[in-house]
Amino acid sequence: MKKVIIGAIIPLAVCVVLLVTSCGGAAPGKVVKIGVVGPMTFIQGEHHWYGAQLAAEEINAAGGVMVGNEAYQIKLVKVDSNEIISVTDAANAIERTITVDKVDFIVGGFRTEAVTPMQEIAMDYGRIFLCCGSSTKELCDKVGDDYDRYKYWFRVTPINSTYLGKVDFMLLGMVAEELKAECGIEVPKVAILAEKLEWAEDIVAAAQVLLPVMYGMEVVGTWRPSDTATEVTAELTAIEAAGAHIIFTTFSGPVGIPYARQWGEMQIPAASVGINVEAQKEGFWDATGGYGEYETTMNTYAPGVKITDQTIDFGERFVEDVGEFPTYCAGTYEALYVLKDAIEAAGTLDSDAVIVELEKTDYTGTAGRIVFDENHDVVWGPGYVTGLGVQWQDGEMECVWPPADGSWEGVVYEGAVTYELPPWVIEAWAP
Amino acid sequence: MIEMIIITGLIASGVYALLAIGFSLIFGAARIINLTHTAFYMLAAYLIYTFTSSFGLNPILSIIVSIIAVTIIGVLVYMLVIERVRAHETTVLIVTMALAIIIQEVVLLAFGGHFRGVSSLISGYATILGIKVTYQYLLTFGMVFIILFGTWALLMKTKLGIAIRATAQDREVANLMGINVARIGMITMAIAVALAAIAGALVAPLFTLTPYMWMHPLVMVLAVVVLGGLGSIKGSFVGAIILGFTETLVVFLVPTGAFLKGSVALAIMLVIILIRPEGLFGVSFEEER
Amino acid sequence: MISIVNAYIGRVYKEFRDEILVLPSKTIVLLFCLILFLIPLMTSELYILRILILASIFAIFAASWDLLSGFTGQMNFGHALFFGVAGYTSALLNLYVGLPPWLTIPIGAVAAVLAGLVVGVPCLRLRGPYLALATLAFPLILTGIIYIFPDITGGELGVSGIDPLSGSRLIDYYIAISLMIGLGFIMWKITGSKTGIIFHAIREDEVAVRASGINTTKYKLLAFCLSGLFAGIAGGLYVHFMRIAGPTSTLALMVSFQAIIWAIFGGIATIYGPIAGVFILVPVTELLRVMPEIRMLLFAVIVLLVLLFMPEGITTWVRDKIEKECPRCKVRNIATRKICRICSADLD
Repeated sequence: MKKVIIGAIIPLAVCVVLLVTSCGGAAPGKVVKIGVVGPMTFIQGEHHWYGAQLAAEEINAAGGVMVGNEAYQIKLVKVDSNEIISVTDAANAIERTITVDKVDFIVGGFRTEAVTPMQEIAMDYGRIFLCCGSSTKELCDKVGDDYDRYKYWFRVTPINSTYLGKVDFMLLGMVAEELKAECGIEVPKVAILAEKLEWAEDIVAAAQVLLPVMYGMEVVGTWRPSDTATEVTAELTAIEAAGAHIIFTTFSGPVGIPYARQWGEMQIPAASVGINVEAQKEGFWDATGGYGEYETTMNTYAPGVKITDQTIDFGERFVEDVGEFPTYCAGTYEALYVLKDAIEAAGTLDSDAVIVELEKTDYTGTAGRIVFDENHDVVWGPGYVTGLGVQWQDGEMECVWPPADGSWEGVVYEGAVTYELPPWVIEAWAP
Repeated sequence: MIEMIIITGLIASGVYALLAIGFSLIFGAARIINLTHTAFYMLAAYLIYTFTSSFGLNPILSIIVSIIAVTIIGVLVYMLVIERVRAHETTVLIVTMALAIIIQEVVLLAFGGHFRGVSSLISGYATILGIKVTYQYLLTFGMVFIILFGTWALLMKTKLGIAIRATAQDREVANLMGINVARIGMITMAIAVALAAIAGALVAPLFTLTPYMWMHPLVMVLAVVVLGGLGSIKGSFVGAIILGFTETLVVFLVPTGAFLKGSVALAIMLVIILIRPEGLFGVSFEEER
Repeated sequence: MISIVNAYIGRVYKEFRDEILVLPSKTIVLLFCLILFLIPLMTSELYILRILILASIFAIFAASWDLLSGFTGQMNFGHALFFGVAGYTSALLNLYVGLPPWLTIPIGAVAAVLAGLVVGVPCLRLRGPYLALATLAFPLILTGIIYIFPDITGGELGVSGIDPLSGSRLIDYYIAISLMIGLGFIMWKITGSKTGIIFHAIREDEVAVRASGINTTKYKLLAFCLSGLFAGIAGGLYVHFMRIAGPTSTLALMVSFQAIIWAIFGGIATIYGPIAGVFILVPVTELLRVMPEIRMLLFAVIVLLVLLFMPEGITTWVRDKIEKECPRCKVRNIATRKICRICSADLD
């Protein structure tokens, strides 16, 4: 009987003790702890981590962060949120890193359904959270709505969903111009192919209304496959039958790979342009077996494209360390520098003082000039962060927007090339 | 429009049928709902990817090696794990689920959460009735018939087939008649896993390789098999045709609702089993045996 | 007067000694509840309270699955439906109508009861694996419906901006554990009542139950509704605690499977088994955070090993080690006893 009671208590006690002590080692002085939160088994989380690590190494090597007259070393805490699989896990992870690891700042976050509760928890504890992954505009709108609660929230990358939409349309316009020049198509027919997710709703709604009115295009149909779809053969067959000249894509899920592969393999006579998150990654070419050639998508970085003086250098060092080209989640690199500058200007680690300095941020990083708007959202536009349009050409991810001829607000990045229509599209529609 | 629906519907059905036949076989012969089935399919796909991309093996050779490797793993899993708990029906479900998660995590550890692709066996496309169909889909569809015929011949024309069917019908009596029931279970499992691996070789090039790629097909396979009647191979084929066409119809008729194709297919499955609680061919298969 | 009170206390004490302390399993449950109530005195670590709150919520959820599937044998593979229906109902009522959590959670639970009817009625004719796989479809179909109305449901982003449960972690904690213990006790009482015996009998032999003149249809529906009610309360609590109702967190396949894993791991047809399962597995998964890469792998391996060596679940295994059933009167006794405490029959 007694044994039984002891048998019941010991595991419980062990659990409690382990929970408290497992990672709670007290930090030595002069360390600023930053939690890097992301789905660490996925490429997004990996890039969160490597980006932050690169920045931390550089900053520490250069003497660390100067808080007042004291130099602090940056100590990163890797937090696996597992957010793609479990929202509960993500929320637990961030609370653990705040209360047990006792981090001073948080960077990262990727999937909105998980970032929302993580944001709430960080705000509960008054921890500054620099988001580097979720584009949902509403996350930042909360700062404007309830400043006192949400002021700890900033977004460093990517540009928010509204701006994504803007760039998306400009890419589409560029392709339409090309079709006009090459094939003499005055009113291009556009098929909208967007996964059925909330973030795509605004883009789809805008495209349906604006394309005919403002851009002089004809929308031949809208296809909304599931974000968990495994392939889109039926959609592609229907799109080809609808006589589309352009497929306007919005994909964030894995279906972006079979889509591009089938599109290339079946030579669907319509240029593909829009957002395809899978095509932003270096592994896209191999994953599509080369059929992803000519796929065009928005992106943040492209190899060999000089957005600012730092871009090329950053890209090269990232490839050297990690073995692959950075995606936008590696924006944690910028986040750490932005944070360092703000802490140094504030001269303290106190959140409120650092927020005041973060709001004044004007930092030229690897993806452009970072300035926060009144909702703590990164500002988009010429002279700020612009985003890129990239096209897969002959196994390489090439920057095709902003256009190399400077026709967009005079913005030209060194290394940009011209957009190319797929040859089978030209063949199908050339007069 | 109609020819588009027919052709796309057929190729979608072929994919489901290929995945479902093995699942149905192991249930029919051993009364095991093997939730690991699609995980074996994933494992095969990843092995093929490794052999071709990392070791530079010839695609056909790597497919054969992978199918053999996965079959061995499947048999080991059956002997070490499933066989021990098969008396408890619910435990089998959880155990096979846990096994699927283990395979998923091992794949995740080995390959990371990157999305990858396997290249097709034959690239390019054919034009049938003015509709483009990639060779890989044609190959898949053809393979379905070979496998259907193969399993039919095996079950109906060979001694082993008779033993499998006898075991399925009545384990105890089969045992009394001198059939080595444990061995028959193992052989059936080997065949089922090999079928999953073949599906991995054919279907994986059509989809994306991710450590979670087993989950969605598993749901569809369950739907196909339930719809057709558990354990009935003919039923699985008909179930695959029904669900494949349902999905295609949704995409063609309601393009803005294409994301509902899975939900509508599941709803159709529900309606059918509510009318026929044992699925379309559930009972007739029992009688056939 | 004092003597009456004394007598009363004496009776309660005697009852306590004869009913609870006499059996190690009941003593463990009592100790477990006491420890849960005292934990905030031992630690003020908010993270631990958080894990225990979530464990309590999931314990209600897993036990409600047991009430339906463990007892009546109606394998429900889509238990997340109840969780999600209640969760979304609570979240939407709170967000758009402004009802407070103590109202939205019961209303959500009622919605889950209705969902129980919607699933239960058509599924009455289905048996075994057919039922399991039919129920699997419901939450997935609901997910599709949620995606049709992104303006209301937020699509994949979920419904956010919901009121917290109470605003204080400590109060949240006591709400969660009290509800878990209270509802767990109610479920346990239900299974011991006449209704519970009929549930159990349906699992063993439905035809025989019907032959005894019992309307099994009614009881099966009742099981679906009761299970929906408790799962619904869990769903409402979860949504208000997490402040988001999203498709992955409430309706995904994994949510249903989790409930089944917890329940079978703990031991089905016991009610306390699933609760124990959750309170073991949830902290274990959190502990495994120190090894994030192999966390899920270890989790699955642990589940697998436990089921291989204790196919009836961990609590049943432990109970059989520390207690014996009297072969004559079927009353349970502590394993150290030689003769039955009720009928004095030999125990070995």
